[in-house]
Amino acid sequence: MNKLKLNYTSLSFIPILVCIPLGYQLINNINFGGFKLFQEFLISAFNPKIDNEIIIIVIKRLNETISIGFFSWLVSIIFGAIFGIISSNIFYKIFNIPNFFYHIVRFFLTIIRSIHEVVWGILLMQIYGINFSIGIIAICIPYIAVNSKVFAEQLETIDYKSFESINQINAPKFSSLLTLIWNPIINTFKNFGLYRLECSIRSTVILGLFGIGGIGTSIFLSFQTLNFRELWTYLWSLAILIILSGLIFKKIKFNTTNKILSIFFISVFFITILFSFSYFLYFIFNTNFENFNSVSSLFKSSSDLGLFDFLKLISETIILSLLSTGIAISLPPLVIGIFNNNTSKIFIKIFAFLLRLIPTPVILLTLLTFNNPSVSLAALTLGLHNAGITSKLLFTNLDSQDKRNYIAMKSLGISKKTSWLLGLFSQQAKSYLAYCAYRSDIIIRETAIVGVIGSVGLGWQLQESLSSFAWQEVTLVLIAYSSIAIVGELINGKIKNSLT
Amino acid sequence: MNNTVLELENISYKYKDDLILNKINLKINSGEKIALLGKSGSGKTTLISVINGTIKPTQGEVKLFNESFEELDRKQKSKITTIWQDLRLIEDLSAEQNVNCGLLAENNFYFAFKNLLNISSFKKAHKYMKLCRLHNSIYDKKIRKLSGGQKQRVAIARSLIQESNILLADEPFNNLDPKLITTIKNLLLENADKNKTKKSPKTALVALHRLDLLNDFDKVIGIRDGKIFFNIKRNNLKKIHLEKIY
Repeated sequence: MNKLKLNYTSLSFIPILVCIPLGYQLINNINFGGFKLFQEFLISAFNPKIDNEIIIIVIKRLNETISIGFFSWLVSIIFGAIFGIISSNIFYKIFNIPNFFYHIVRFFLTIIRSIHEVVWGILLMQIYGINFSIGIIAICIPYIAVNSKVFAEQLETIDYKSFESINQINAPKFSSLLTLIWNPIINTFKNFGLYRLECSIRSTVILGLFGIGGIGTSIFLSFQTLNFRELWTYLWSLAILIILSGLIFKKIKFNTTNKILSIFFISVFFITILFSFSYFLYFIFNTNFENFNSVSSLFKSSSDLGLFDFLKLISETIILSLLSTGIAISLPPLVIGIFNNNTSKIFIKIFAFLLRLIPTPVILLTLLTFNNPSVSLAALTLGLHNAGITSKLLFTNLDSQDKRNYIAMKSLGISKKTSWLLGLFSQQAKSYLAYCAYRSDIIIRETAIVGVIGSVGLGWQLQESLSSFAWQEVTLVLIAYSSIAIVGELINGKIKNSLT
Repeated sequence: MNNTVLELENISYKYKDDLILNKINLKINSGEKIALLGKSGSGKTTLISVINGTIKPTQGEVKLFNESFEELDRKQKSKITTIWQDLRLIEDLSAEQNVNCGLLAENNFYFAFKNLLNISSFKKAHKYMKLCRLHNSIYDKKIRKLSGGQKQRVAIARSLIQESNILLADEPFNNLDPKLITTIKNLLLENADKNKTKKSPKTALVALHRLDLLNDFDKVIGIRDGKIFFNIKRNNLKKIHLEKIY
């Protein structure tokens, strides 16, 4: 008997097997009474509420969302670049700093990055209460660490020989550093900066669902009152914002040879740093420190969380991550492969856009109308949302790919689906899997959001512990959550390296 | 009077289990032009890298102006300039920005900043680029868009602009056409520039493959398997010497 040989194409489809246990649990948990509500939700998409009052609210809420999103993006991209430099090996080589510090900085940033902005938001809200700046800070903390990773990765591609060459000129160390990192930093900003602004806006929306303000808060409130028409007004306005910003971003081109523009960017850079530090100091000296008393009771409070329960929560979170990743990897190629015609493509693209657009808590709340809370439901939500993102990448790559193989195979009489699979997708499978490995890092972090809403895993426990001010439990949950994310990042890093 | 500018004392360099340089002793006097001969992999590039401080020797000491290289400050170390075989230019910067990088040692951070923003003066860079027969149409072109010969001359201009006393060059005439080789060789090795348009390095150690380029050198050093086989005046070079190293 021939041995089963796995290749990148088959590896892209195998994870769909997660749908078997997932489907079984979902079917068992169906609540038929809730379908009417779900139907109402779907119908409202075509009949959103439009009147003067709601338009004013939309403008006000979008303004808040854009402000929080923009400021958190600006601060996180600038400090991300600074931390990216500090966490890149080139910095340590130039200043002859022992590698030990390099690992310390990297580890610190990995921990910060491993905790989702929603978790930071919930924590900060518990300590400082709800206000505009908490939203910015909650997004900035993990985003600085995420951005720093991207900048550091780019800086580590600097040719070591260029470093030796500049080093041999014996220039002042800061001059050498600046000369070497200038272009990688600018290029990373050009390629990655605007995408991060979009991410920032999305995160603001999600944080809004937890009460931070902006359009997210309105979405959540209208869902709670089952006002689906109003809900869809907010969702469509968010869609318009994302589409418009995408179109504007495409038009923006950074010209680094333009001296005035360069000086403007540098001024913004320094003003942001100055403003951030001033604000940080203001924040520290104007905070009601009484709130810290609850944090200081961290080590005094006792935990009711048993070891068995705790391990169960950890395993739930891991299972949730695996199931969601399975869906996010395999669903897009499967659906695109099966419905491989131009009309279906348009529908798949619209559906994928909606999955990206609707925040995961809203998808989950919608699904909860006809299904009981479970790991499978949370996994389906997270999987579908991320499948929307992976499918966008897959469509972009497939559309720009050379189609000669596909045409040649079709001309040989091979079926359209097989030609697509072997002539088109097989060439993308490797890079697609590499991207999915990166995506699964994000999925692990996002388990916190669906956990809070869907009553599963560590996310739910975090919410519970915070509500009861059980700070020791909060710490335990955060450590566990962070550890899972770090281990996941290490494994995915290995997978990515083997694929690229 | 001792006019030794560079001295290598018992230099060895081991990479993993391979001994790349084996107990090299060498003295280079001020104003000497030395050609370094040897086949590929003989240790020429490693020797240059040890002299300019890029590689630390496993054993032995490099002395510059009778002082240990390790103990010299940045300004003193900048008296050595290197032209690398693989050029080591910064691909994303323009030709003139790369040449200006040669001035980083004598300027402050603000100069580096202005150079990257394209708002620094390129007057000196242009002078050396012109001397290297680079056409002004390529001054603001990114390195990645230049031909091999143009890149070679940008690297040479970057080295010359440093106006250092000692030149280390690893195959500096690669990618150049025969006419240009003569021009560039004169630029690098001329003792005194008649027109005072540039300061040539007084002392030079140049790794070469082509024997027809030896005529302007005072001495020839032959290296094989990381060992110096001969260190003689150019006029005394015989076929038997070359047979030892090739």
